[in-house]
Amino acid sequence: MGVTCVSQMPVAEGKSVQQTVELLTRKLEMLGAEKQGTFCVDCETYHTAASTLGNQGQSGKLMYVMHNSEYPLSCFALFENGPCLIADTNFDVLMVKLKGFFQSAKASKIETRGTRYQYCDFLVKVGTVTMGPSARGISVEVEYGPCVVATDCWSLLLEFLQSFLGSHTPGAPSVFGNRHDAVYGPADTMVQYMELFNKIRKQQQVPVAGIR
Amino acid sequence: MADVLNVGVNLEAFSQAISAIQALRSSVSRVFDCLKDGMRNKETLEGREKAFIAHFQDNLHSVNRDLNELERLSNLVGKPSENHPLHNSGLLSLDPVQDKTPLYSQLLQAYKWSNKLQYHAGLASGLLNQQSLKRSANQMGVSAKRRPKAQPTTLVLPPQYVDDVISRIDRMFPEMSIHLSRPNGTSAMLLVTLGKVLKVIVVMRSLFIDRAIVKGYNENVYMEDGKLDIWSKSNYHVFQKVTDHATTALLHYQLPQMPDVVVRSFMTWLRSYVKLFQAPCQRCGKFLQEGLPPTWRDFRTLEAFHDTCRQ
Repeated sequence: MGVTCVSQMPVAEGKSVQQTVELLTRKLEMLGAEKQGTFCVDCETYHTAASTLGNQGQSGKLMYVMHNSEYPLSCFALFENGPCLIADTNFDVLMVKLKGFFQSAKASKIETRGTRYQYCDFLVKVGTVTMGPSARGISVEVEYGPCVVATDCWSLLLEFLQSFLGSHTPGAPSVFGNRHDAVYGPADTMVQYMELFNKIRKQQQVPVAGIR
Repeated sequence: MADVLNVGVNLEAFSQAISAIQALRSSVSRVFDCLKDGMRNKETLEGREKAFIAHFQDNLHSVNRDLNELERLSNLVGKPSENHPLHNSGLLSLDPVQDKTPLYSQLLQAYKWSNKLQYHAGLASGLLNQQSLKRSANQMGVSAKRRPKAQPTTLVLPPQYVDDVISRIDRMFPEMSIHLSRPNGTSAMLLVTLGKVLKVIVVMRSLFIDRAIVKGYNENVYMEDGKLDIWSKSNYHVFQKVTDHATTALLHYQLPQMPDVVVRSFMTWLRSYVKLFQAPCQRCGKFLQEGLPPTWRDFRTLEAFHDTCRQ
């Protein structure tokens, strides 16, 4: 697992989501990237059931259960600012059993699907973020395989992002600031995806049941 | 085949002898034809017998004549020369079935090819010997008498000495750690870990560096049985490039009499890779060139350059 940066690409003026994705993929192919299959990242939201809340009336925490096609045998469970658990796929079945403690928020499933591209040591994934039947945005993930320390290669990643995103290049992800010399892991990528999905949810102003 | 001059065979007489054999064959067949035909039809029995006998005698005379002619000619033909220059391989050439077993022509081709190969190899070794390519201090080709006594050879060093040198270098740099093992005989195998950037597997031959393979920090350097994997390449292009540069470096740093200085210089050069992903190229100022960061480190100044930007 190399250092990964997940960002959102705003939809171009006067164009649909599909057309913007096509523009991006064409730019990548002109750069010399090779198509290498598809990817999918999805996220479901759970909130702690009311019955388990203490007398102080503390509000429930949100838990996100995510899957990433890059790690097909794993399942990630994370809290907003809390730890991230990496479990195997049986965790989904476990969540069904924990219905008393965690209830699924309605219409909360959000996912991004798209194609993977390989350019030298970079792995680029451009996906359409959909919630239900509607497309809400575009996610761009760039992974630089050889490097495992985030702070080392941010300038390098930035240069690469600029070469095909142009002016829409994002700033450094917050996870990079937290861990200075620690080895980057898949959990950090899932945190970035969770933040992206939350941002997209808020953008459209669609109320998601269960959100505070 | 054999030269005409060497043969000693009178070719003229030879061809005449062949035609004489043909004449003899035809006269012998005439004899048998006559016998087969039997007596011709004449008026009296005596006449028939006489004619038959006369005819028969004529034929026998012609056979005799032809046989004498053949004997005369065969004496003129002479013997082929005994000094056969081809010996056993020449006997192969007498085999007439050229299509199924072209042994002789293949033999000739193989011989010509090996002669040419020997000639070219001689030329190549002459040219190569002009440029000394040895990194060790051993001198080949000097006879035992002329070699001065007690010349230390750097190819045979006690393993303890190698261990000492390596452990001293290990303590030189804080971000570089070297682990030494000897899984295959007396050659040392070092696993050098540089920060959290890369790992290098160095295969040594006494104190000379033989090969260096560079892999990523998160790549697996061990095989299934737990031994160091010294053969497989890295999965990433950048580290494959750095492996090539490391091979160039170990050929560049050469000092036949002081191999420990060589190892120190090599490790100093390797240490400059701790900022592989952070340093921009000194010439073009960018980080990426065709997807690769600056992978070249100058041998003297240790500055970072792209492989295509280096002077």
